[in-house]
Amino acid sequence: MRKLLLTGLLLGSLICSDTFAQSDYPTLSQVSQRLQKLSSNASVELKTLTKTAGGKDIVVLKVGTGAKDQKPAIAVVGGVEGFHVLSVELALQFAEKLVSENSSALEKTTFYIFPNMSPDAYEQYHAALKYERRGNAVAMDHDRDGKAGENGYSDLNGDGMITWMRVEDPMGEWTLSKDDERVLVKADRAKGEAGKYRVYKESKDDDKDGEFAEDLQEGTAFNKSLTYKFPVFQPLAGDIPVSQLESRALLDYLFEQWNIFAFVTFSPANNLSTPLKYNAGDAKKRVVTSILEKDQTINAMISGIYNETVSQKAFQQSNQGTDGDFFQWAYFHFARLSFSTPAYWTPEFKGKTNPEVNYLAWADSLGWNSFVPWTEVKHPDFPNQKVEVGGIKPFVLVNPPFEKVGEIAAEHTSFILKLAEMQPKLEFHNLKTESLGNGLTRVTVDLFNNAPLPTHSEMGVRSRWLRQIRIDIDAAKDNLVSGDKIKLVESMEAYEKATLSWIIRGSGNITIKAGAPHTGFVTQTVKF
Amino acid sequence: MKNLKTTKLIVALALSACFLGAFQAEAQQENYFRAIGSPHKPKVEIAWNRYYSSEGLWDWMKKIAAAHPNLAKIESIGKSYEGRDIMTLTITDFSTGKDTEKPAMWIDGNIHSNEIQGGEFSLYVAWYLTEMHADNEFIKQLLKDKTFYITPTINPDARNNFFKEPNTANSPRSGMIVLDNDGDGLAGEDMMNDLDGDGHITMMIRKSQTGRFIKDPLDPRKLMAVGPDQVGEYEMLGQEGMDNDGDGEVNEDGIGYYDPNRDWGWNWQPDYIQRGALRYPFTLPENRSVMEFVMKHPNIAGAQSFHNSGGMILRGPGAEEDVNTYNREDIRIYDAIGKKGEEMIPGYRYLTVYKDLYSVFGGELDWFYGNRGIFTYSNELMVSYLYFNKEAGRGNQDEQLKVDHLLTFGDAFVPYKEFNHPQFGTVEIGGFKKNFGRAHPGFLLEQDAHRNAAFTIYHAYHTPKLSVMDVKEEDLGGGLKAITATIFNERMMPTHASQDLKHKIERPDYVTIAGAKVVAGFVVEDEDMKKFKEQKSSPEKIAVENIPGMSAVKVKWIVSSGSNYSITVDSAKGGKASWKK
Repeated sequence: MRKLLLTGLLLGSLICSDTFAQSDYPTLSQVSQRLQKLSSNASVELKTLTKTAGGKDIVVLKVGTGAKDQKPAIAVVGGVEGFHVLSVELALQFAEKLVSENSSALEKTTFYIFPNMSPDAYEQYHAALKYERRGNAVAMDHDRDGKAGENGYSDLNGDGMITWMRVEDPMGEWTLSKDDERVLVKADRAKGEAGKYRVYKESKDDDKDGEFAEDLQEGTAFNKSLTYKFPVFQPLAGDIPVSQLESRALLDYLFEQWNIFAFVTFSPANNLSTPLKYNAGDAKKRVVTSILEKDQTINAMISGIYNETVSQKAFQQSNQGTDGDFFQWAYFHFARLSFSTPAYWTPEFKGKTNPEVNYLAWADSLGWNSFVPWTEVKHPDFPNQKVEVGGIKPFVLVNPPFEKVGEIAAEHTSFILKLAEMQPKLEFHNLKTESLGNGLTRVTVDLFNNAPLPTHSEMGVRSRWLRQIRIDIDAAKDNLVSGDKIKLVESMEAYEKATLSWIIRGSGNITIKAGAPHTGFVTQTVKF
Repeated sequence: MKNLKTTKLIVALALSACFLGAFQAEAQQENYFRAIGSPHKPKVEIAWNRYYSSEGLWDWMKKIAAAHPNLAKIESIGKSYEGRDIMTLTITDFSTGKDTEKPAMWIDGNIHSNEIQGGEFSLYVAWYLTEMHADNEFIKQLLKDKTFYITPTINPDARNNFFKEPNTANSPRSGMIVLDNDGDGLAGEDMMNDLDGDGHITMMIRKSQTGRFIKDPLDPRKLMAVGPDQVGEYEMLGQEGMDNDGDGEVNEDGIGYYDPNRDWGWNWQPDYIQRGALRYPFTLPENRSVMEFVMKHPNIAGAQSFHNSGGMILRGPGAEEDVNTYNREDIRIYDAIGKKGEEMIPGYRYLTVYKDLYSVFGGELDWFYGNRGIFTYSNELMVSYLYFNKEAGRGNQDEQLKVDHLLTFGDAFVPYKEFNHPQFGTVEIGGFKKNFGRAHPGFLLEQDAHRNAAFTIYHAYHTPKLSVMDVKEEDLGGGLKAITATIFNERMMPTHASQDLKHKIERPDYVTIAGAKVVAGFVVEDEDMKKFKEQKSSPEKIAVENIPGMSAVKVKWIVSSGSNYSITVDSAKGGKASWKK
């Protein structure tokens, strides 16, 4: 009995010291411990790409076996938004589950896992003052008045988090929601409704310019700083795209990894619950801003698999990309298949349409304490007005309570592994050698892409940053009577074949090799 | 030991030769008579009828800086891909203030490595300003008021490659990064081959019974097409080269390919939209060093980038998608300067890139203007008009053959010669040399350099020049008085381009009063109608959003004390000016 108890305690403590002990999202040092632990696995290479302005590591886990660079690869990216702490945990758990439970996937596929692209901002989740932060640690002049970061947030009610403040003012645009008095909604002027409040993030007018929280004490937001539709001069974006150490380090690294065929990004954008829509006008313009027609079909197919695999039903998932974000960059500028999901959102609850009302109703039903009641504070900028601080707590709208993460991670891991199974797969079939007499042989073989995905998306065909399928025959050039010694094929559709043929002089063994890093390579030996 | 002696001897000889040379030059100068408009006794004697390698350019830059320590400083603003310095001269009259506190002109050349003369033209500006300074009142005043940042080559690696390695007039164009151009997984596996070893990649032709060309019986340098009913004698095989990798293509994977002028962070687009783009804006270390320098020097108000060829003074936008970036007020200024340029540089036309040339996303001039609000031109140097003062059209072969016959006496052309080609058999190799066509022949270099330099000087002259004037006092009674000051900009360019104003690129100009107790401060909107806009916080330091060209802004303070006050204006692009009672 005592023994059993001891064993139980021991087991418990073992489990506790592992991931199960976690009751909240990990701190950066906990993340780094888990990365170290992962890197002790033979199939994992842990590499630091750079340090951010805040001195935090940007790392990649390259997970694979054998000739890793010659196998198709999927990149999994987390921490694209610093406040989306769930995304870091999902990327980490994917890596852990891949290595411990699904290592057979590594025979065919290589994985690049970038767990956290915004560590400077991520840290705010664990800081003494908690708020949803996007920017890194560089100094930035968001309101472009010549002075950097001179009006961030202020914790007016001293509760250690930044929520909202409302100022009673008949000239304000906001009023109370009829469905839930805690929630503020814009007064419907079209219906003659009067406003009651002005609403700001919890802050003071530190720089006395009449604006509140307009020049945050944070820098560039990774997910607003890439080249696709870069929102130049906007707050958190800056003057030049890809201006930061972490964005440059990531891109420089990705441009050297020729085998990536798809990205799965955990970020607020969602093209998995519902695929992107093709718009002929935008797709045909010189500067392309719509998914291309054939790629829409791929997106729809993958979306179908996502919805079968992930149990949450889509609700109010209307963000299909924002300017300068990462997930759209990966498709529109890096020409890879690119999928993004927030992985968690508030489900539809009792037919509420206002997202906050809906969230609060749902959270109440579960007994979650996720609202800071409106409480009056003294505000130096509004000495004669009633100012109250309150609102939904930071982080909770996009990050579930930690105990829910396990199931989300399991489902998303399974989705990524299903995507890996669909990767381009080249095979040789129907090899034929015919003697033409006088020492000449005709060699014919079919090259077949035995996969539901094409070797190159429609966008991929356009890009110089994806290689073509190269077919090499190692016969001596002088013995090659006809047929190409090196042949490049732009793309092969799903389940498409290409028939290849050569006339070769002499006899012996030759090898035919076909492929590209992101499709994998196949070889065929021919005796004649 | 023996070696050492020899070395010493050589040094001694060299030294004496040097002294002798200097002495002779001195003596000879007494026999010179001044030609109008040129430095008469330059401290640095540069021959303007030849081209210089990157090191050659820097050598001249160092000599200029050494000879004119009060006017020129040299620094490295970054490194190239191969580790060379990006060398910049700062030219201003340092005795009248810091370079960073005067409106400045940025000048660079050679972003495309084969477009070499931008190097010499930029260098000419530096040389001209420093050497004319002592003798010319206009230049003296100009260097009191303005700064020039001059970087003759922003592509030093590939500039040297153009000179030292076999090339055509169009290669390398990029820098020295070698990429996979044919998508076969290998980079640079089929470069150009200088089969005849003359340093020029010319053309290959081959005798063929089915060929469609003959050599012109009157001029064997010229291949002419035969009529539709005639049998020819030659076929064209294209560029001098071989199939090095056995894929059936010749010269298909050389240096690059990318375009350093598609690498800038304004309306940047990837390679499938804008061929030549790299990973992201400022992938190239050369461009990145320029960008960082410009960001650190908000006093740069004008910029000039030298390219070749075709005789053009170009302004943006590079792409139609950016038409709205360039608005009417700024275009008026662009037009005024550009049209003056057409007069100053015969044969050159003032054009807009996207409508008169081709579309460019991520070009340098669009970044300077769109991202930094700097008025910028790109000049396409060298135009065939300069040969015979006639419009014969760009790349007119007949004219070029005539030039080489009458003016350069065969120096520009490699006559066709037989060569035994490993893949094509007997071919003939010949054609125009790489340094003909796009590059000026020596005898045209100095004149065109001067004209283009004069254009950039005109451009620099019209960066803002501010003064505080017409300070008036009015007694308001009760111990209060009103002080009104006029800030005048006596040049064409505003302190903030309208693009700048639209996006708040640069901070406002500050007009500050010191030595007075300020009760309230205003920007005067209409003095006669008494319309004022009050600035409630820090009224002693009035923020003025812009001081337009050839016009003025008025500010007003109400003060309660102060009789010995001073007023200063501080503008990022407009420099500083002050007034004291």
